Amino acid sequence: MPVATGTDTETFAALYERTFPRVYAYVASLLRDRSAAEDVTAQAFERAYRRRATYRTRRGSHEAWLFGIARNAALDELRRRKRRARLEAEPEDTGALGADDHADLALRREAVRAAMTGLDGRERDLIALKFSAGLSNSEIAKVLDVSETAVGTRLHRILTKLRKACND
Amino acid sequence: MTDESATIERDLAAVETALASGAATHEEPLARELQELALQLRADAPRPEPAFAEELHGRMEAGFPSTAGSARARAEAARARQQTALKRLSAPRGGRRFARSYLLPIAGVGVPLALIVGVIFAAGGPSGPSGGDDDAGGGGGASEQAAGGSGGRGEQTKGETLSALPRESARAGDKAAAAPDTAVVPLEPVPRDGNFAPGQANRKIERSFSLELDVPLDDMARVADQVTAVTNRHGGFVLSSSVNSGREGGGGDFSLRIPSDRLRPALRDLAELAPVIRQSQEGRDVTRQHVTAKDRLQAARAERRSLLRRLEEAATDQEAEAIRQQLDLVAGEINGLRAQLRDLRLRTDYAVVNVSLLVAGDHDDNGGVGGSFDDALDDAGGLLVGFAGVLIRIMALAVPLALVALAAWLGTRGLRRRRRESALA
Repeated sequence: MPVATGTDTETFAALYERTFPRVYAYVASLLRDRSAAEDVTAQAFERAYRRRATYRTRRGSHEAWLFGIARNAALDELRRRKRRARLEAEPEDTGALGADDHADLALRREAVRAAMTGLDGRERDLIALKFSAGLSNSEIAKVLDVSETAVGTRLHRILTKLRKACND
Repeated sequence: MTDESATIERDLAAVETALASGAATHEEPLARELQELALQLRADAPRPEPAFAEELHGRMEAGFPSTAGSARARAEAARARQQTALKRLSAPRGGRRFARSYLLPIAGVGVPLALIVGVIFAAGGPSGPSGGDDDAGGGGGASEQAAGGSGGRGEQTKGETLSALPRESARAGDKAAAAPDTAVVPLEPVPRDGNFAPGQANRKIERSFSLELDVPLDDMARVADQVTAVTNRHGGFVLSSSVNSGREGGGGDFSLRIPSDRLRPALRDLAELAPVIRQSQEGRDVTRQHVTAKDRLQAARAERRSLLRRLEEAATDQEAEAIRQQLDLVAGEINGLRAQLRDLRLRTDYAVVNVSLLVAGDHDDNGGVGGSFDDALDDAGGLLVGFAGVLIRIMALAVPLALVALAAWLGTRGLRRRRRESALA
């Protein structure tokens, strides 16, 4: 199941293994709905699998291409289900604190989650691409079709905003 | 680099370092805070349920099979049936790949191009280097009409028929049989006055025609005599002529004046003498000069009448002498204007017809098979020019269409993107 022909050939299975948790994390961060995130993740991989022959290196890395597909699927889902209200709502608790979690860590975590609610959809999207999907700035630039510099600047602005919100 | 951009770069580098190492160790407190935030955001990323991961992994390994009864499953079944049918019909796999890789794109480009070329030819066909000459008389007429519409200015129009597209006229074809290598052109119709300026029969048109006849050397003297005979028969006259029928080379040139109303039959008779290899015609509207000269002549005559009356009533010798001097001047002017009108009338009543007799095979404009290297070069040049003409016409249609298609595609793409992104707004 090669993703592309030529020197940049990679099997789809290898791409799947490498990216599955991150695609799910990104989609779930965007949708804030585990069930919908599972559907969209499966849909994104299926689309990518069927379109793997159309991949071209000029579109960026395999990951940028795959996350582009996942993003489109997630945005389509958001539009379809009109989840705007859900986006702005309190984020779902994606993991319970362990017994050995320190209290200050738990507090810090809650503060970050609370700060995240102050972000708009585009800012949340960028944060998800960076920290949930684990993409580099250049890959994010390919996914969003903007320059790498713009990605860096926006990312810094959002992080600064989050840091301030956490400290307030 | 400004302080702000330096800070941004430092902070982003700190974040990347923290993500790579998994620790927030920057010495700057603010950068360290961002590092901690980045690590926290990454740690907070949702994780898939093991059951879901297992199920999706299984589907991936099976090649994402469609659910039975789903729309996708039905579409896949239909596609499979189509492919099976194609397999039976088509050649080996390499052939199908070739067809998919090359024939389909070629067909995709070729069919619209063929349609465009068809439309161009259906709309009148491309005018190559000689294409616009087919309606030389008509073209001249249009220009003349335009000149007439702007007050009868003395505009010059020219229509020329070249032998780039050799065709055989019915009459000349008989002659051509005697000289098979000779290319002949049909005689273009002579425009009547109405053709030069439709609806304005009083226009004064000065015309000139040129004919080149293809004459065998042995026949040169006979044809030269007949040129003179035809001219006389139609009431014209030979202004100048030169004929050479020697063995070392021959030819002839005639400058004829033929009454405009007899021009058509005269040209037809001349064209019957030998195959026509080239002809050109020129028309010049001199109506304005004619009208102006006529008006000035009338005014001069009126002035003369007035001066004559004043002369009869002159009281003194001095006064009579002064009037006589004026009368002399006016008489001179009248004579000049009369001469001008005569000249104009002669030029418009008689057309100039230049006939050149060329020895068969000596001229190199025949474009026939078996010509010299220069002929081949000329033909190739003509073909290239014609091809470029067609190409330019195709481009004139295809380029705007392609631009419109590109704009539509970009617009649709941008619109779809904006609609998608609106989910994040």
